[in-house]
Amino acid sequence: MTDTFAKATPATAPPASNPAPPRRARGGFRPVRSVVKHALLILCVLVMLYPVLWMVVSSLRPNDVIFRDPSLLLNDLETGNYAEGWNAFADPFSVYLVNSSIVVLGAILGNLVSCSMAAYAFARLEFTAKRWWFAIMLLTIMLPIHVIIVPQYVLFAQLGWVNTFLPLIVPKLLATDAFFVFLMVQFIRGVPIELDEAARIDGAGHPRIFAQIILPLMVPALATTAIFTFIWTWNDFFSQLIYLTDPDIYTVPLALRAFVDAQSGTNWGAALAMSVVSLVPIFLVFLFGQRFLLRGIATTGGK
Amino acid sequence: MQRRLIFKGLGASAVALPGLAACGTGGGGDVELSDEPVTIRMTWWGADTRAELTNQVIAAFQEEHPNITVKGEFKDWAGYWDALATTTAANDSPDVIQMDELYLSSYGDRGTLLDLADTSDFLDTSGFEAATLETGQIDGTQYAIPIGAGMLACVINADLFTQYGVELPDGITWTWDDYAAIAKQLSEKSGGAIHGTGLTGGTDAGSIRYWARLHGNELYGENGDVTLDPAVLAALWEYNLDLIESGAGESPAQSVESQSAGIEGGSLATGKIAMGFGYNTQITPLLAASGADLRLLQLPGNAEAAANFIKPSMYWVVSSQSEHPAEAATLLDFLVNHEAAADILGTERGIPANPAMREHVAADLDAGEQMAVDYIESAAAGPAVALTPPGGSGFDPMIQRYTQEVMFGERTPQEAAEAFIDELKTEIDAAA
Amino acid sequence: MSATSELRNLGKGGATAKRQNKTAFFFLLPWFLGLFVITIGPMLASLVLSFTDYNLLQPAEFNGLENFSRMLGDERLHQSLGVTFTYVLVSVPVQLGLALGLAIVLDRGVRGLAFYRSMFYLPSLLGASVAIAVLWRMVFGADGLFNDGLALFGIEGRGWISEPETALGTLITLNVWTFGSPMVIFLAGLRQIPRMYYEAASVDGASRWRQFVSVTLPLLTPIIFFNLVLQIIHAFQSFTQAFIVSGGTGGPADSTLFYTLYLYQRGFGNFDMGYASALAWLLLLIVGAFTAINFWASKYWVFYND
Repeated sequence: MTDTFAKATPATAPPASNPAPPRRARGGFRPVRSVVKHALLILCVLVMLYPVLWMVVSSLRPNDVIFRDPSLLLNDLETGNYAEGWNAFADPFSVYLVNSSIVVLGAILGNLVSCSMAAYAFARLEFTAKRWWFAIMLLTIMLPIHVIIVPQYVLFAQLGWVNTFLPLIVPKLLATDAFFVFLMVQFIRGVPIELDEAARIDGAGHPRIFAQIILPLMVPALATTAIFTFIWTWNDFFSQLIYLTDPDIYTVPLALRAFVDAQSGTNWGAALAMSVVSLVPIFLVFLFGQRFLLRGIATTGGK
Repeated sequence: MQRRLIFKGLGASAVALPGLAACGTGGGGDVELSDEPVTIRMTWWGADTRAELTNQVIAAFQEEHPNITVKGEFKDWAGYWDALATTTAANDSPDVIQMDELYLSSYGDRGTLLDLADTSDFLDTSGFEAATLETGQIDGTQYAIPIGAGMLACVINADLFTQYGVELPDGITWTWDDYAAIAKQLSEKSGGAIHGTGLTGGTDAGSIRYWARLHGNELYGENGDVTLDPAVLAALWEYNLDLIESGAGESPAQSVESQSAGIEGGSLATGKIAMGFGYNTQITPLLAASGADLRLLQLPGNAEAAANFIKPSMYWVVSSQSEHPAEAATLLDFLVNHEAAADILGTERGIPANPAMREHVAADLDAGEQMAVDYIESAAAGPAVALTPPGGSGFDPMIQRYTQEVMFGERTPQEAAEAFIDELKTEIDAAA
Repeated sequence: MSATSELRNLGKGGATAKRQNKTAFFFLLPWFLGLFVITIGPMLASLVLSFTDYNLLQPAEFNGLENFSRMLGDERLHQSLGVTFTYVLVSVPVQLGLALGLAIVLDRGVRGLAFYRSMFYLPSLLGASVAIAVLWRMVFGADGLFNDGLALFGIEGRGWISEPETALGTLITLNVWTFGSPMVIFLAGLRQIPRMYYEAASVDGASRWRQFVSVTLPLLTPIIFFNLVLQIIHAFQSFTQAFIVSGGTGGPADSTLFYTLYLYQRGFGNFDMGYASALAWLLLLIVGAFTAINFWASKYWVFYND
C-alpha cells in the first residue's frame, strides 16, 4: 500500500489553485443507484432517530401518557411541560443554559490553544524523552475520575476554587484533555512536512510555522476538537456535580438530573422538555461548526 | 475549619494522605450563636417540588433570623451521595444535611456528624415521641432528627379489579395465601392482559424486614449484626417464584423493567399489574402518573403479627465539620418545630414525624396525602427496626442482584440466601 | 519515507536530529503545568490509596497488598472484567466499522451531505442525558418498539433490556448507535487529505477504487489508528450509559456490570475507596497494555506523512 502511495506522491509543492475535486464530479451519473443509496440512508436515519423523535413527542404529552405510549403520534398536545420545566427551579432554565455556555466556551478556548501547542511539540519537535512524555500523557486519561475526584477536590478546595467554574475550565487551559492532543498530533503528522521546510527556508521559526502553516491547515482538527469539547463539557455530569454547589451556578446536566427523584416522583414531561431544550444548543453548534470540518487542505493549503 | 490545608504541597501529598477526612470542630460545650452575620450551607436530594418548597422555607427562616444566611443545595439521589462523600472526605461538607436511614450510621459511626445534645440550647426535641427520636440515635447518641415517617403498604389498582370483575380484597385481615389467590384470579380474568402482582419483596430492605418479622426474625440485630435467617429469605423468594409460576405474578424481565423505570414508569403506574408494594407516601406520584383509582391496603399478614414498622423517610443532621453548629441547629429547630415551616413544607418529605406538626398539616391535605396519613394511622406497627449498620449502605442493589439471580433461575433460593447473607456480613464486618 | 511505529518515530530524530528542547518546552508549557499542578498529584494520591483501607470518612490506613490479593477472589470483579472485555471487543470494531463506512459513503459527494451527517450525529449529542434510560426502555423493553418490529415478522420478542442474556447487547447497541463521534473524526480526516495526491493519482490514470486503496486508506490510517486507540480506552472506561440505563446497579444480575461501574459502587456505594483505587490502577495496567500493543502493531499498518 505504502509503495503504491509513494509512487503517486509528487515531490513538488501543491499547485496554487485547486480545481473542484475529481471525486465529486462523478456523483450524479447513476440516478438509480443514487435513489437506492438515498433510500437506504434515509431508512438508517429514521431508525437512528426514532428514540430522539420519541423524546421530542413525549415532551409534548401529559405525564400520565408518556410511559404508556411508545408511538410517535401526538393525540393531545401538552405544551405546559416546557413552561413547567423552564421554571421548575429557583432560577429559570436559561440560567443553567448560560452557566453551561460559560463553562463550555472556556473549555473550548482552553483546549484549542493548549492542546494544539502541545500537539505541535509532539508532532514536529525533537526533545528529550519525547516518547515517554507522550506515554505519560496517554496514561493520564486512563484512570477513572471516581478515584481522582477526592484528592482533586482537596486540591481545588485549597486553592479556593470550589463553587466556581475554575475547576472545570482551568484544567482545559492546561491541556489535560490528552484526547485532543493525540487527535491533533495525528492530524499534524498528516500535513506534508515539505510545507514546513519551505517556510523554514523563508526564515520562519517554529512559532511562525505553527501559527501560519500548521494551524490553518488543521482547521478540521480544530473544529473537531471544538465540537467534541462542546458536547462532552455540555453533557459532563460528575465533575460539575462535585464542584458546583450553589444552585445559581448549576449547569444544564445538574438541573436535568435534579428533575429525577426515584423516591417521591419525577415530572418526566418537564424533564424530557428540558432535555429537548438542552439538545438545541449542541445541535445548532454542530450544524454551524461542521462547515469547518469541510475546510480541508484543498481549500486552505498551498499558500 | 473549612477547607483546611490537607496537602501541604503536591510533593507532600502522598505523605499527607492519611490525613484526609481528619477531624472537624469536634463539638463540645462552646456552641454559641455568633454575633456576626453567618452563612451556613444546607443540602438535600430531591426534585423540583422539594427545591421550591425548601427555598421558600429558607426564605421564611432568614426573615426570622436576619443574621443567618442559608445557602441551599439540591442534587439528584445518586449524585447527592457522591458529592456528600467527596466533600466530607475533603473536610468541606455542608452544615445541614438531609440524611437517609441507609447512610445514617455510615456517617454517624465515623465521627462526621454532630451530637445534637451539644446543640440542645437551640434545637428542641421535646415535642417528639421517644420511639421516633430513637430512630435517629446511634448507641444512644442523638445524631439525627427524623423529618417524616413512611410505612410500607400494599397498593392496589381498583379500576383493574372492576374492569376484570374481581372482588376487592378486605385489605386488613388478608394473608399471603389470599394475596396469591387474588393475584392469580386477576391474571386469569384479564386473559393475560395484565398480571395480578409484581414482586412482593426482595428489592429493598423494607420488604425484607417486614417478611423477616412475620417469621419472628429480624434483618439486623440491635448491635448491627446480620440476624436474617437464610431459610426465611429463601421462603420469600420461593413465594415469588410460585407467583410467577402460577401466572399470578409478572415475569422476571417485566419486574426488572418496572423497577428500573421508577415510580412513574413502573408496572403499577402503567396499569400492567393490579397489586404491588410501595411506601404510603408514594401514593401521590403514583396517582398522578397512573390516573387510576389506586388505594392503600394493609400488608398481607400484618393483622396478626403487627410486623410492619414506621420508617423515618429521612432525617436532618448537622455535620461535625460545621463551623456554625448553633446556627445549624437553629435552622433544624425551625424546620421540624415551627408551624410556619410546616405550612410550607407540608408532607413533601413524608408525614411529619413531629406529632404537633403532623396535626397542624392535617387540615389541608390533598387526596393522596390524606390516604397516606390515614394509612399510617390505621396500620398496626411493631417496634422500630434496628438501624442499617455501616457497610449496609449498598443493601438495595445487593438484594436486587440476588433476587434477579433467583428469578432468572441462576441460583436456587436457598443457595442465594446463604450467599447473600455471607456477602452482607462481609461488607458489614469490613466497615466495622 | 516508510511506515514506522509511532513511538519509535516520536523518539527518533527526524531529518535534523538536533534536540529542540527549549522550543518544545515553550510549546509544552501549558501541558507541563497541567501535568504537574493538576494531574499528577491526584493520580499519585490514588496510587497511594490503593495500598490502604480508606472509607472516605476516616483517615486511610495502609494495608499493604491486601487490596490486590483480594481481587483474586472477587467474583464480581471477574464478572465485571468479562462484561467489559465483551463490550470492548464487540462494540469498538462494530462502531468503528460503521463510522468509517458511512464516512466514506458520505464523503463521496452525496447530495444532502450536511443533512445526513447531522442526523447521524444527533444520537451522539444525547450523551449522558437521563432521557437515555427512558428512550432505551421504550425501544428494547418488553413492550418496546423493537419487539413491535419483530412481531411484524412473526417473531416473539423478549425483555431485551431486562434479561441477563441480552441486557449487555442493548448497551452495545446503544454505543454503536452513537457512532457519529468517530464518524465526524473520520470525515475530518478525509477532508485533510491533500487534493494534490488525488490529482497525481488521476494523472497516472488510477481508477476510483485504486485511488481509494492507494491514496485514501493509507492517508487515513493515522486517524483510524487514533479512533481505535481512543475508542478502546473509552470503552474500557464506559460508565455513564450503563449507570443510567441500569440505575447504577449494573443489573439485571450483574449482566451489565462494567468495570468502572463496579469500581464506582465499591468506592462511593460501599465507602471502599482504597479498594476502588486499587481497581482503578489495575484498569490502568490493562488499558495501558492494550494501548501499548496498539502502538506496537501500528508500525505495520499506520502511515505517516512526516
